[in-house]
Amino acid sequence: MKFTTRDQLKAWLDGLAAEMDLVAPRGVDGHVFYRPVASGDEVLFDYERPELSAKAFVFPDTEVFLRVEQRGKDVTVEEVRTERKQVIFGVRPCDAHGLAVIDALFLNQEPADAQYQHHRERTVLVGLACPRMWEGCFCTSMGGAPDDATHLDVLLREVEGGYAVEAVSEKGKALVKGLKTKQKAGDPPAPQTNADAVPVVDTATWRTLFNDKLWQRHGERCLSCRICTYVCPTCRCFDVVDRVVDTQPGLTRIERIRVWDACTSTNYRRAAGGHNSRPTKPGRIRNRFYCKFCYYPEDFGPLGCVGCGRCVVSCPVDIDITEIMRDVAAKGGQE
Amino acid sequence: MAANPMRPYVGRLAGVREVATGVKLFQIELTEPEGQASLAEYKPGQFAFLSVFGAGEAPFGLASARGPYLELGVSALGHVTNSLHALEVGDPVGVRGPLGNWFPMDQIKGHDVVIIGGGIGGLPLRPVIHTILDHRADYGHLTILWAARSPDLLIATDEFDEWRNAPDTEFHVTVDQGDENWSGNVGLITKLMEEVAPSTQNTITVTCGPPIMIHFAFLTQQKLGFTPEQMLTTLEARMHCGIGKCGRCNMGEKFICVDGPVFWQYEVKEFLEGFL
Repeated sequence: MKFTTRDQLKAWLDGLAAEMDLVAPRGVDGHVFYRPVASGDEVLFDYERPELSAKAFVFPDTEVFLRVEQRGKDVTVEEVRTERKQVIFGVRPCDAHGLAVIDALFLNQEPADAQYQHHRERTVLVGLACPRMWEGCFCTSMGGAPDDATHLDVLLREVEGGYAVEAVSEKGKALVKGLKTKQKAGDPPAPQTNADAVPVVDTATWRTLFNDKLWQRHGERCLSCRICTYVCPTCRCFDVVDRVVDTQPGLTRIERIRVWDACTSTNYRRAAGGHNSRPTKPGRIRNRFYCKFCYYPEDFGPLGCVGCGRCVVSCPVDIDITEIMRDVAAKGGQE
Repeated sequence: MAANPMRPYVGRLAGVREVATGVKLFQIELTEPEGQASLAEYKPGQFAFLSVFGAGEAPFGLASARGPYLELGVSALGHVTNSLHALEVGDPVGVRGPLGNWFPMDQIKGHDVVIIGGGIGGLPLRPVIHTILDHRADYGHLTILWAARSPDLLIATDEFDEWRNAPDTEFHVTVDQGDENWSGNVGLITKLMEEVAPSTQNTITVTCGPPIMIHFAFLTQQKLGFTPEQMLTTLEARMHCGIGKCGRCNMGEKFICVDGPVFWQYEVKEFLEGFL
């Protein structure tokens, strides 16, 4: 294996931070988030699961994507782009998997989402394997693993005295050229995984349970707070709004902004005139889970869940995706 | 780099007229060459996003198949639509489109056609009517059933005479509630459908209106003997992208924006999640 030390990684990250946007796990008031960092010293190396996924760095929660200038009756529209490259360091394999799920829709379905594609192309993902699974995690049930390299450009695994370095993609190989490594004998230890798997049933079984009472039971206690979609690495619904940023005589500057949206919010389906075709909480909760396990795989390929467990620990009323999956499997088996 | 489908093409308001109380028909001329090329051709049933810069954008059915301008009908109901209603001729707008699928006019050729339009839902059917009237020999008998809640909400009244007098065409109109000047039919469109009772023989129906009307119009058509393979509709939903990404408009696994907005009734009845 290729071996490097934490100090060598920090020196490498210092160099990257000078050249490009560097994002890494960082302590914020006792919590861990992926955050922009200016040097290797700011990077956390020992952490569990960052509280939010990495999706905000390729699909920002609020992003100006057009700048519009109106002078009199003349309008110019400019697309907002950055030339800077971006490295997300220390990304957990489930979060990289989450981006691959979004890719299946935003990149692989024509037409591609131009803004997302722009961020995806400028970004390199350097993963750090989880030494074990954390509270609520079930990545191994969703086709992932704590040390899954599939959706990463580089994967680091913790070993005695440092890290094993695996450059996965061409992008990754180019990036690690600047990292000091040496060959060392041995393999990284296998991560510790949870014994109890969560059952994943096929979409045909899901289809038989659309009108089942279980949606009433799980959905009626939902508070429509939307935290589940906010923390989710695969939720990708968005809204588009305009903001007037400057008004002078004869000149108006406008930003068109995309913001995250949530299918669990009360008025998600409310149309002009007041019609709401999904007016109940059970109906909205059902949509969220059908999106992940029925619609998304049928329409775009992958399951819409990577088993990060964030929604399980975030939900204020304990709506538990793994409990719902077990219910669906049990009910589906009885049919 | 391919054109960004979220970037609107700039245009200007070339004309505007009130076509019913609270409903304006906007005529738009695109000023950027890319926009002119993109929207040079579109098909009946497709839609476009209309921007008022600073207020936002919203999707509307393309309401005409006759040039030279793009036409979209807008009811003043929310922030974007009220901002659209405040525009004056010459003001800049943005347009993204054409988006979505369309009515299969080639497949409809050679059939009798029944158009069932309720309120502002009649506007997306206007290009279908135009196409049939402008290629009259390609289609069979045309029956237009038109309705609104009240006489002042009837859409396209200035075209009623043309439709009445067109060859091999019959036009019937009703309102849910009349007023002192109204001497025509009073009652729901489903009542009118039963009274007119169009033949199901070699016929395709095309329905658009509010969801509740589409629902009952389907039921009445079934009662009249139409099969799900003869009934077309176009659905609407709140949406923010029109290209299948934003998630807003799903009805089960279908997205109104890319799988629709035009659906056969046999597709609609297979939706896991209803549109009502």
